Amino acid sequence: METTTKAGQEILQVRELTKSFYGVAANDNVEFSLHRGEVHGLLGENGAGKSTLCSVLAGLYRPDSGEVWINGRPVQFRSPLDASEQGIGMVYQHFRLVSSFTVAENMVLGLKGRDRTVSLGQVEGKVRELASRYGLDVEPTAHVWQLSVGEQQRVEILRQLFRGAQILILDEPTAVLAPQEADRLFDAVRQMADQDHSVILVSHKMEEILSNTDRVTVLRGGRNVGTLGTSETNAAELAKMMVGSEHLPEAIQQVVGQFADKGLVLSVRELEVEGDRGTPAVDGASLDVVAGQIVGVAGVAGNGQREFQQAIAGQRQVAGGSIMLGGRDVTRLGSASGSRSGLAYVPEDRLGTGLASGMTLEENLILKGYKELPYSRYGMLRPRLIAARAEQLVEDFDIRGSRSGLPVSLMSGGNLQKAILARELTRPHDLLLAASPTRGLDIAATAAVRRHIRADAENGGAVLLFSEDLSEIIELSDRILVMSRGRIVGSYTPETLDIGELGLLMSGAKVHG
Amino acid sequence: MSKRASISPRARPPWTVRVVVPTASLIAAAVVGGLVISMSGNDAFEAYRTILDSSFNGVRPLTRTMTLATPLILTGLAAAIAFRMKVWNIGGEGQLYMGAVVASGLALAIPSDIPKPLMIAAIVLGGAAAGAVWAGLAAIPKAYFNADEVITTLMLNFVALSFMNYLIFGSTSFWKDPKSSFPQGLRIPESATMPRMSYRLHYGIIIAVVAAVLLWWVLRRTTYGFEVRAVSDSKEASRYAGMRVNSKLISVLAISGALAGIAGAIEVSGVVKRLDPTVLASELGFTGIVVAAVARFNCLGVIPVAVLLAGLVVSGSSLQRLGIPPEIVFLLQGLIFLFVAAGEFFLANKVTIASTVPVQPAGNGGLANE
Amino acid sequence: MNDTVLVLSVVSAIAAGTPILFAALGEIMTERSGVMNLGVDGMMLIGAVTGFWVGVETESAVLALLAGGLAGTLLSLVHAVLAVSLRVNQVISGLALVIVGGGLSAYWGNLGGTAADGSADQALVQTKNGVSIDPIFPEVLQDLPVIGPIVFGHDLVIYFSWALVGAVGYLLYRTQFGLSLRAVGEDPGAADAAGLSVSRYRYVCTLVGGFGAGLGGSYLSVGVIGTWAAGLTAGAGWIAVALVILSGWRPWAALLAAYVFGALRSLGFTLQISGIEVASEFLAMIPFVATYLVVIVVSANPARARKIAGPAALGEPYSREAR
Repeated sequence: METTTKAGQEILQVRELTKSFYGVAANDNVEFSLHRGEVHGLLGENGAGKSTLCSVLAGLYRPDSGEVWINGRPVQFRSPLDASEQGIGMVYQHFRLVSSFTVAENMVLGLKGRDRTVSLGQVEGKVRELASRYGLDVEPTAHVWQLSVGEQQRVEILRQLFRGAQILILDEPTAVLAPQEADRLFDAVRQMADQDHSVILVSHKMEEILSNTDRVTVLRGGRNVGTLGTSETNAAELAKMMVGSEHLPEAIQQVVGQFADKGLVLSVRELEVEGDRGTPAVDGASLDVVAGQIVGVAGVAGNGQREFQQAIAGQRQVAGGSIMLGGRDVTRLGSASGSRSGLAYVPEDRLGTGLASGMTLEENLILKGYKELPYSRYGMLRPRLIAARAEQLVEDFDIRGSRSGLPVSLMSGGNLQKAILARELTRPHDLLLAASPTRGLDIAATAAVRRHIRADAENGGAVLLFSEDLSEIIELSDRILVMSRGRIVGSYTPETLDIGELGLLMSGAKVHG
Repeated sequence: MSKRASISPRARPPWTVRVVVPTASLIAAAVVGGLVISMSGNDAFEAYRTILDSSFNGVRPLTRTMTLATPLILTGLAAAIAFRMKVWNIGGEGQLYMGAVVASGLALAIPSDIPKPLMIAAIVLGGAAAGAVWAGLAAIPKAYFNADEVITTLMLNFVALSFMNYLIFGSTSFWKDPKSSFPQGLRIPESATMPRMSYRLHYGIIIAVVAAVLLWWVLRRTTYGFEVRAVSDSKEASRYAGMRVNSKLISVLAISGALAGIAGAIEVSGVVKRLDPTVLASELGFTGIVVAAVARFNCLGVIPVAVLLAGLVVSGSSLQRLGIPPEIVFLLQGLIFLFVAAGEFFLANKVTIASTVPVQPAGNGGLANE
Repeated sequence: MNDTVLVLSVVSAIAAGTPILFAALGEIMTERSGVMNLGVDGMMLIGAVTGFWVGVETESAVLALLAGGLAGTLLSLVHAVLAVSLRVNQVISGLALVIVGGGLSAYWGNLGGTAADGSADQALVQTKNGVSIDPIFPEVLQDLPVIGPIVFGHDLVIYFSWALVGAVGYLLYRTQFGLSLRAVGEDPGAADAAGLSVSRYRYVCTLVGGFGAGLGGSYLSVGVIGTWAAGLTAGAGWIAVALVILSGWRPWAALLAAYVFGALRSLGFTLQISGIEVASEFLAMIPFVATYLVVIVVSANPARARKIAGPAALGEPYSREAR
C-alpha cells in the first residue's frame, strides 16, 4: 500500500514531555509532532511509554514537565473533558460502552450542553451520517451487547467523532480484531485522514504500522528514539529501534538440558482458547517442554500468553487442540479435578491467584498441601508441623518481611514471589510454569528467583517460562520461542538466536526461513 | 491551597485503630441515642442506668438477659459464617421459623415417653435440618445460577412467616391447640422442654455457647475450616489450589441455616413451649445480623455481643416503667449497627486530612499496557 | 352497583396499593442508579409517624405528606452517606436503617402517653383525630356506575401517584438525566469515563427513594388507615422492595403490581379458587414467592432475561481506583 508523507501543517506538538511514576520516568523528554491529515504510528514495546504519552494527550495525566501545543497554542488539560473540547478523542483498548444501551444512547452519554430531552431520532440520524462519511457502519438502534467487537470499536470511534474530535488516538485497536475487521478499520482510518482528521495509531505490530501510516515514531525506555517517514524505512530497521541492542546480554547462559532423553513433560498441540471478549486469544499454539529443559516464551503482552497459561493451569476452558501434561491428556480437565497436581505454577497475579492475600504466610504455604500428611490428619490441621514447615521454607528461600499471624498482603513483591516459589517448588512436580516471575522485583530478589528456576531444571524439572523481559528469556532458556497473535511463531536455541529476527517476530511481522 | 481528605486503603489496621474505632462507634451510638431520649423530655443518664441495672445487675436480670442471648448467639453465628464468605444470608428469620415449626412438630409427634435428652436432641436436630433445607432453597440457586442470595433469602423469610402464621391462625393444623378458644399452638409435652438452670434460664445457653466454640474451633483447626477461610478470603486462589468453591458455598449456607434453625428449636423448647408465631416473630434473625456485624463476624466475639444486645432489649419493660417507650432499645440497637458499619470504613481505609495543592487528576482510565 | 364487592375491592386495592407504589417508585429510582436500599420499610415507618404527627399538629394534609416525605429523605441520607461515600456494604446499611426507622418511629409514637402523671399530652398511638384527605371530584362523578368510584373516587394523592408513574417513566427513558442515571447503575466505570459523577447521581437517587418511601408511609398513616401504630406498615416496605424486582424496574409495571398486592393485603379474606379454599396467609406469600421465582429464572437465563434484569451494577459500591 502506497503511503506518502503528508507535508501538512503541524496540528499537535509535544515538547520535552516528562512524566514519572514512583520515581521511574515513563516519558523522558519526549518530543512528538503530528501533522494535519496524517496517520502517525506510535511504535514500541510494552513499558516503552506509548500509553503514558497518550494518556497525557487525552487529559488523564498531567505531565511533570513539558508542553503540549495544539494549532500553535499551548494547552493544559485538567481532565479528559478539556482534551475532548480541544478536539482530542481517544479510543481505548478496553471499551467504555454501556452494553445494555443502544449505540445512540452511548453516543450521547455524558455529553454536556444538551437540553433535557433526548431526541434519539436526531442522534441516530447524525450517527448514520457520520458512519457513512467515514466507512464506520453500525446500526444506531442496536444494543451494544448485540454488536461484534469490531462494531463496538466503531461505536467508540464514532463517539469521538460525534464530539467533534479532530485528533484521534487509537490504542492497539487491532488487538481484539480479526484480520478482515482490521482491514475495515484501516480503511476508515484512511477516510478520516483524507477528511483532515489526524490519527495517532498506537501499536506494537510492525505490519500494521508499515501498511497504514504516513510517519512513525518509535519509543523505547520512555524516549523517542526516532521519527521517520513510513515509506523511508523498513521492518528490520524499526525492529532494531524498538528492541535496541542493549538487550543482548554479555554472556548467554548455556544450560543445555542433560536430561533430554527423560521425556516429554508438556505437549501442547494446536491449542485454541477463547479470550474474555469471545475472540480467540490462543489460536493454534503448539509447543513441547522436555524434562530438564527451560523453554522461554518471549512476546509482547496481549498476544494470548495469559490465556495460554490459564489453559495449562486448568483455569480456563480449552476450545480446541490438546494439552498433555506428564503423559496425561488434561485438555478437558479443570484445576479442581486434581489433574494439575504435577504442575507448579507461579502466576502473574501473585496476590490474586497465587496467594490468598488475607491469610498468613504459613497458611498460604500449605494452601495446596493442607489435606496431606503431615499437615493434617483425620481432617484436623496440625499447627506445629505447619509452622515448622513454614520456618524451614522461610529459611531455604530467604523469605523476609513476614511476621507470624499477619496477612501476606503486607509483604513485598519479591518476598511474595519467593513464597509462591517455595510452595510450588517444594511439592513434587513435573512442570514449572512461571509467568513474568521477576516483574517488579529488585535485583537481589530477581537473581534469587532466577536461581531457583535454573535449579529446578537442573534437578530434572521441565520449565515453561513466559516473560516480557527479553534478557531474562535469553539468560535462562535452553530454547526460546516467540508468541504472537496466539501462536508460537519462532524457535531458537541460544546459538541460533537472532535478535533482529526476534524483534520482528514479536512485533507481528512475518519472517521467512 | 485546599484541605483535601486523602483516602488510601489499608492492608491491615493497626491494633490501636482496631480498638478505637469500635469503641468510638459504641460511644457515638450511645450519644445519639441519649440525645434522642433527652430531646423527647426524658433523662438519658437515668435511662442508661436503668438499662444496665435491669439487664446485668443481679442474678434475675442476668438470667433474663442470658435467656434472650441464647437465640441471638445462634443467629449471630449463622450470619457471621455466611457474611464472612460474602454470602449475604439475611434469611435467618425464615430459617428460624422453619426450625421452630419442625421442632414443635417433632415434639408433638414423637411419643413423649422417650428419655428427655433423646427427645431434645431429636427436636434440635430437626430444627437444624429444617433451617439447613430452608437455606438450601437459596443456596442452590446461588451456586448454580448465581441468583442473588440477598433477595432469595429475604423472600423466603416472609414465606416462612406466612406459613407459620397459617399453621396457627389460618387452619386447624396438627400444631394447633384444639381445646383453646383462641388460636394458639398446642403446648409441647414436658419431655420436650428444655431443662432449667435457674429462674427462666434454660440449658439452651449451653448449646449456644458450645456451638460458638465448636464453630470457632472447626474454622481454625480443621481442613474443612481451612477451606472455608481460604474461599472466604480469595475465591481465585482457592480455586487454583484445587478447592471446590461452589460446594463450600452450599455447605456454609446450610450450616448457617442450621444454626438459625437450632435457635428456633431452642426457643420453642426452652421459652415458648409451643409454636407461637407472635412471640417467635421478634426479629431474632435480623438482630442476629446486628450481632454478627458488631462482632465483626468473629465466632467467639458473637457471644459477648449477643449478651450486650440481649441486655439492651430485655431492659425495655423497666424503661417503660420510667415513662420511656421501650422501643428506644431497638433504636439504640439500630444506631449501634449503623455506627459499627460506618466504622468499617475507617478500619479499611486510612483517612488523612492535609492541606494540599491540587495535584493531577487521579484518573485511571489509562491504557492496558502500563 | 357501586356497592358490589368487586368495585369496592378495586377501590380499596388502589388505596392500599398507593403507599407501596410511592415507595416502589422511589426505590426504582434508587436501584436504577445502582444503590440497593433495603431500608425502605424503616423509611416508610418514619414517614408515617412524622406525617401523622404533622397532620395532627397542623391539620394540613399537604404539610403532613410533605413532612413524611422529608423524614424519609433524611433517613435515606444516612444510607447514601454509608453506601455511596463510605462504600459500606449496602445490605447492612439498609437493614440497620430498617431497625432504626422502626425503633425511632415506635418510640416517638409512644411518647407522652405513658407518662405516670396522666398528663393531657396524648401519645400518637392514642390519637384518633388525625387530619383526613378527601376525594376531590364532585359527588356526581363519583356516583357514575363502576368507573365512578374507580376513576373519580380518589383523593388528590392517588391521582398524583398516577402522574408520578408517568413522570418517572418519562424521566428514566426520555431525558438526558435518566440516561445518565441508568448508565451509572449499569456500568459506573463507563459512566465515570464519560464524565458523569457517579456519586452525585447515586446520592440524588437515594434521596429521591427516601422521599418516595416517606411519602408512601405518611399517606398510609394519614390517608389510608387514619391512625398510627407501631409497625403500621406491616411489611409494606418489603413488598415494595420485592415489587421493584417483579416489575423489572419499570414504573408502569410497578403501578399494576402495587394494586395487585394492595388487593392481597387489604382484602384479607380467604379466596375460593375452583372450590379450593386458599388461606389468606398463602395470599400474603404471593408477592414473595413470585419474586423468589423471578430472581431464579432471570439468573438462570441472563441472555434472554435482559429486558427485566436489574441494573448490572446494583449493590456494588463504586470506586474509581478499583477499576
